[in-house]
Amino acid sequence: MTALSPSLAPQTRRRLALGSRHALPVALVAVFLLFSALAPGFLSLANLESVLVNNFTLLSIVAIAMTFAIAAGGIDLSIGTAVDFASFSFVTLVLSGQPVPLALAAGLGGGALVGLFNAVLIAGIGISPFLATLGTLFIGRSVQQLLTNGGNPVYLPPAGVPESFRFLGRGTVAGLPVPLLVAGAIILIAGLILSRSRFGRVVSATGTEAEVVRYSGLTLKAHLAGTYVLVALIAAVAGLVLTSTVTVYIPSSGNAFLLNAIGAAFIGTTLHPHGRPNIAGTVLGVLLLSLVANGLLMSGLNFYWQQVGTGLLIFTVLALSFASRKA
Amino acid sequence: MLAETAFVTPATPYHPGEEAAVPARSQIGLHAAKLGLQGGAFAVFALVLLIFALSSPIFLSPFNLGNILAQSAISGVLAIGLTVVIIAGGGNVVTGGIDLSLAANMGLSAAVYASLSQAGQPDAVAAGAALATGLVIGAVNAVAVTRFAIVPLLATLAVMNIVGGLELVLTQNTVIPAVTPLLETLSGAGPLGVPVLAYGLIGFALVTALAVQATPLGLRIQAVGSFPEAARASGLAVNRFVAGSFLFSGLSGGLAGIFSAAYLSGSTTGAGELLLPVVVTALLGPVFSRRLVPSITGTLLSALFVGVLINGFQLLNLSSTLVSGIQGLLILLVVSATTLLKRKEG
Repeated sequence: MTALSPSLAPQTRRRLALGSRHALPVALVAVFLLFSALAPGFLSLANLESVLVNNFTLLSIVAIAMTFAIAAGGIDLSIGTAVDFASFSFVTLVLSGQPVPLALAAGLGGGALVGLFNAVLIAGIGISPFLATLGTLFIGRSVQQLLTNGGNPVYLPPAGVPESFRFLGRGTVAGLPVPLLVAGAIILIAGLILSRSRFGRVVSATGTEAEVVRYSGLTLKAHLAGTYVLVALIAAVAGLVLTSTVTVYIPSSGNAFLLNAIGAAFIGTTLHPHGRPNIAGTVLGVLLLSLVANGLLMSGLNFYWQQVGTGLLIFTVLALSFASRKA
Repeated sequence: MLAETAFVTPATPYHPGEEAAVPARSQIGLHAAKLGLQGGAFAVFALVLLIFALSSPIFLSPFNLGNILAQSAISGVLAIGLTVVIIAGGGNVVTGGIDLSLAANMGLSAAVYASLSQAGQPDAVAAGAALATGLVIGAVNAVAVTRFAIVPLLATLAVMNIVGGLELVLTQNTVIPAVTPLLETLSGAGPLGVPVLAYGLIGFALVTALAVQATPLGLRIQAVGSFPEAARASGLAVNRFVAGSFLFSGLSGGLAGIFSAAYLSGSTTGAGELLLPVVVTALLGPVFSRRLVPSITGTLLSALFVGVLINGFQLLNLSSTLVSGIQGLLILLVVSATTLLKRKEG
């Protein structure tokens, strides 16, 4: 819980190291074995690939973005808004006949805009991230409805769209699906940034000891601002991949990722010796959520029970890891 | 206003060192700014009322005003439940008190009520079961937060998923109509032609406000949230109060479920969409309180303000989608102002 409450007493912090770290890997293995035994077809190569491509990729990108916000001691509730703005800019430019690379750049720009707005609120004015990004989420929802005549989806007609548009979502390189490669690249780069770069260390320090960062003469505000722009940029990539896959922009659809991204990032903190947000943990957290979603589907469980099952599982992992930290 | 009279201590963390360190003149300035901010919220509310009253002839009719109250009843009850959790858990939205399962709770409770009514159960059984459903959800949250020590944001997030799923399982994602004497009474008109739901909201808010803002129990709840260490040192069982706040919010989820069944003549899908508006309503509440802290009366006013906006936009044929944007802008304006104010103080 150090990630959340920097004011914990030192002895409490030392206790955090004990016992809690194994909950996530154990849960992953258990879930994998359970569904291999229960759900026919779960273990097939085709199904496992579908888990990675359909369940894992997009959520992993968004959850990694969220990990940066949480590492910096905050949260980004408007992460879906960045996904949506990227998607909207991308679709609009492609529809107006602009070349795909330009539309992709505009998509990243559209997402980054959301991040800049958050950066001004959080680093500039000093609003708490929860409230600032909640405001952004609400404003973003209205803006999208105004842009789309009250929330109508924007479809890309299959005929009028260049083939390159679908590359990001449906293409393959050396037999591997492009979305998976994009997610892999982002996982690697994000991992390097968060744990090996100077920027990443300052971000983590901001999350644990903001005062110390300030006293050390580091530019706290610039790093905070940079964090929220980076969060939105990574989320924007998810928006581009999503749009390229489904060839439609649906207003405010990015919010669907929000709660799972928060869940995965926080489940991931249980992997770290001091309960800090970390990329490896987030990736395992997303993998756990993806396996559960797919496994419940494959075991032929009623669609509605899947949500109950996912919730129960997250609850159990959280209870196990937090309760053992407390003890 | 009932306000937070029960909890006036000389130095609170909201304006530390105000008496001592700040020179007299800037102290006056700060007081003026604070009055302006707090008065500003009321001024905006009054202005909005005035604009709607001038532009729509039926806005001020008793029927429409009653309608606003009835429309706000569901989100108002939920936001009040959430406010109690925030007061007892502390204002930090990530580590402090929050209950994300409230909207899903309302949905499941309404579904339980509607299903039992459809199965021929009398009102007392259906209503009791709906309230019990809410209470059980609150109890699960309480155990998760106090026994398992899960951060409220995460614990209630997981519970929200479970409860939302259970509602889908129970209703198969369909609308369950319900017409019962209780629902008819609730959705009908009461004394003065005002809907009974409106009285329900006001009554619930008054009772809660009295309990939280004017009793020793309320004083303790506020102490537990604002100064957990001091509260613990003076012998208060902090965890019990936190657990109690979740039980209360669970119960308000159940009550909101019955209200929603009355308002919509049954249970409908998509209850989860109410979550963020309810969170915003509760977080906007402090501007309508004297010391800019969470309070029941503040949340009630905030719920009514949002209700007035939605209703006025409907009357003026303006797109109701703007309401979400305006809520977002308001929360940012309010929070920016308070943040800048506190920075000046500090």
